[in-house]
Amino acid sequence: MTLLNFIFYFLEAVAAVSAISMIFIRNVFYGALLVVTCLLALAGIYVLAFAEFIAVTQILIYAGGILVVIIFGIMLTSKISGKPLVVQHSNVIAGVLAGVTFLGLLIYFIAAQKFNPFSTTKFAPEKSIQNFGTGLMSDFILPFEIAGIVLLVALIGAAVMASSIKSKNN
Amino acid sequence: MVEVQSHQSTTVELFLLVALLLPLLSFFISFSISEKYSWVVPFITTLLLLTSVVSSVYVFFSVWKHEPVVVQLHWFTIGNFKFNVGILVNNLSAIMLIVVTGISFLVHLYSSGYMAADTSIRRYFAMLGFFTFSMLGIVVADNLLLIFIFWELVGFSSYMLIGHWKEKIEASAAASKAFLINRIGDAGFLIGLMIVWANQSSFNLIELTNTTEILSWQTSASLCIFCGVIGKSAQFPLLNWLPDAMEGPTPVSALIHAATMVAAGVFLLARIHFMFTPPALDVVIIVGGITAFMGALGALVQHDIKKILAYSTTSQLGLMVMAVGVGAPEAAILHLFTHAFFKAGLFLAAGSIIHSLHQAQHKTHDHFDVQDVRNLGGLRKKLPFTFIIFILCGSALAGLPFFTGFLSKDAILTAIQQWIGSEFSWKWFMLAIAFIVSFITVLYTLRMIWSVFMGEEKRTSTLPIAEPPLVMRIPLAILGFASLWFVVCSNPFDYSGWLYSGLHAGKYFHSSFMPIVSAVWVVLALVVGYILRKKSIQSSLLLHNFYLDRIYNALMVKPTLHLTSFTNYLDKKWIDGFIHSTVYTQVILAHFTNWFDRVIIDGSVDGVAGLAKGVGSVTRSFQNGKIQLYLFWAIFSIIIFLIWLII
Amino acid sequence: MFPLQHFLYLSALLFSIGLIIIITKRNAIMILLGIELMLNASNLNLVAFNQLNPSTLDGQFFSLFVIIVAVCEAAVGLSLVLRVYHEHKTSIPDELNNLKD
Repeated sequence: MTLLNFIFYFLEAVAAVSAISMIFIRNVFYGALLVVTCLLALAGIYVLAFAEFIAVTQILIYAGGILVVIIFGIMLTSKISGKPLVVQHSNVIAGVLAGVTFLGLLIYFIAAQKFNPFSTTKFAPEKSIQNFGTGLMSDFILPFEIAGIVLLVALIGAAVMASSIKSKNN
Repeated sequence: MVEVQSHQSTTVELFLLVALLLPLLSFFISFSISEKYSWVVPFITTLLLLTSVVSSVYVFFSVWKHEPVVVQLHWFTIGNFKFNVGILVNNLSAIMLIVVTGISFLVHLYSSGYMAADTSIRRYFAMLGFFTFSMLGIVVADNLLLIFIFWELVGFSSYMLIGHWKEKIEASAAASKAFLINRIGDAGFLIGLMIVWANQSSFNLIELTNTTEILSWQTSASLCIFCGVIGKSAQFPLLNWLPDAMEGPTPVSALIHAATMVAAGVFLLARIHFMFTPPALDVVIIVGGITAFMGALGALVQHDIKKILAYSTTSQLGLMVMAVGVGAPEAAILHLFTHAFFKAGLFLAAGSIIHSLHQAQHKTHDHFDVQDVRNLGGLRKKLPFTFIIFILCGSALAGLPFFTGFLSKDAILTAIQQWIGSEFSWKWFMLAIAFIVSFITVLYTLRMIWSVFMGEEKRTSTLPIAEPPLVMRIPLAILGFASLWFVVCSNPFDYSGWLYSGLHAGKYFHSSFMPIVSAVWVVLALVVGYILRKKSIQSSLLLHNFYLDRIYNALMVKPTLHLTSFTNYLDKKWIDGFIHSTVYTQVILAHFTNWFDRVIIDGSVDGVAGLAKGVGSVTRSFQNGKIQLYLFWAIFSIIIFLIWLII
Repeated sequence: MFPLQHFLYLSALLFSIGLIIIITKRNAIMILLGIELMLNASNLNLVAFNQLNPSTLDGQFFSLFVIIVAVCEAAVGLSLVLRVYHEHKTSIPDELNNLKD
């Protein structure tokens, strides 16, 4: 067992445990922290899967951006109600039944498949980010630009939502 | 005897209508005058009746011994048959007009004094007027059906008047009794009318008169009509209503007994005398004889002064019916005429005694039955005027010579004597009854007058008795005067005066033998009566009129009641039971159909609706607005799809 | 190169857990977190499958765009949650049923 293997399994275990404990957590704030943990572990797994750029993006945007926004949201709502946000559970049986059955089905399908690599060509990790940037600017230029517009629209939309709260309060 | 005269004189018809309709007018006026001015009613009605009397007198002199007045009016048409009604006034009707209007006028005059204190004076005078009108209708009608209608009106108004003091239970009971007993006779009358119509198709008296031959149906028809006479004139077996009718006011009794009610029967007998066959006449004379005998015996033992007079009326009516039965209706009418005056006089005089004693009692508060002769006596000093009237009218009743009663009774006895023939038969028995009755008449008349006016004063000695007022004494005086012989005939021993000759068309039988026998007989009776004046006969059989009421009660009323209770039982037990069982069946059936309707039909409809509702609520539960459940169902369907893929 | 099945099992586990969280938790922010988990599971799958053909990097591009869309979704979703919380003083999705019926 190499160190790399150990790190991979460790990260897998961290992601799995943090995700499973999400089910039993009642405090939303802790839930958000557990999600951050899970995402950070996933970012590590991405690195091990030769997707460094995605890993960095994951850390920057998810852990650094989205989750901070979510934690701000949690704090704001708990500030209004004046007590920590505690989650009630409902539809427990239905949810657990659906989730477990779905998991069983997925495992059944995955176990039934044999995955073989298309090419055996040697893989050059050091050129990965360069190739990624070239692909982004050549083949995927249109989705890239559209993604930028989507981000802008989402930003404006979120800002309008937040500002309309204020204007209504005034 | 008469032939149809279409027209005679419009003046006579006018006066006839006046005489006929004024009493009816009096009836309407009396009812339309307000209660406040009820004191004016006696004056107006008496005045109207006086006018009616004057008109009657004019009609009488126009008709008497002339052609009869005949007026015909078309009434209605059935198919091709025209029914006419009209007026037929011949000598008989003319004399009855005088009697009815005259007595009625005198009773009105008398009543305005006698009934002055009565509270329902308007109803009293209205019914008097109506009574008079009804009787006049019988007198002038030319038609059996019309006579029947007025006959019923007479019954109705007598009912109203007998029950005038409706607070008294006896009065209303007596009124009902008179009415009901009259109904029995009237049923026979109606059947007789049907027989006549079935055979002759006519009710007109003139047309009926023209059928000269004697037909077989006439016996039954005349006997049926005689049933009506029995009821109205209180003949045996229906005579027991008349004494009870004394519960009415005394002037009403006078009117009933003298002019209107009971006279109607005798008048009708005389009017339709031509219809009676010899067998029917035999029945008539037997009935009359029994009635005369029973009435005379009853009058002998009564204590109530009005009941004595009532029984005496029954007896005299029996004599009249006998006279008709022997074929001498003119004798009957003669006796009816004389009897009307002296009996009205007697009743009014009795009324004035009662009135005076009541007034006196009112002042001293000493109460006893003033109508009971055992309480009276020696009143000749205190009521000399009434005493004289009583003597006059009583003498007429008893048939003393020089009085009208003697003459009319003489006529009847002569008629019976002519009728019996020379050979001895049951007919002699009738003559014997007539003589016995006239003997007893003298006895009870003497006894009544003696016990009221002679001897010592009994309960009345302390009372301040005064003669009645002038309005009551004038009618008494007129009636007392009319009891004297010269009213009827100039010769006090020969009844065939102006009246008899006017009524009697053929030859009359006068025997000088009969008046002498009669006079001797009466004087003998007078002597016997004087000897026996202190004796009083105690006979409960006679006092209660041979227990007729009880016999009727036992023979008719009780079986009828039993029959009704039996039919009542039948009705309750069987008919009601049948109806009830049908009803129960219906109800059970209805319950069953109700159940079927509710459970099966409604149930199926409700079931369909409930099914739709259930399906709706099940499908609705998916759309419950819970977003997580939506998600669950989406995932669930995906899972099912995947499982389906595996399988 | 690590076995592909590992990635796939982890991805399936994360996706199922996100599903359970979405269905059972009664809080809008928690549901958003569940959605993030599910998106990450798909991202993991994309990255993992990219290993089978490393020369083209298509899977990485897809995952990048998924991240971008997730950012937009999170931003808009959070602002919606805040807005709803201000309006109705609740973040329980079951109680937001004004449009029902």
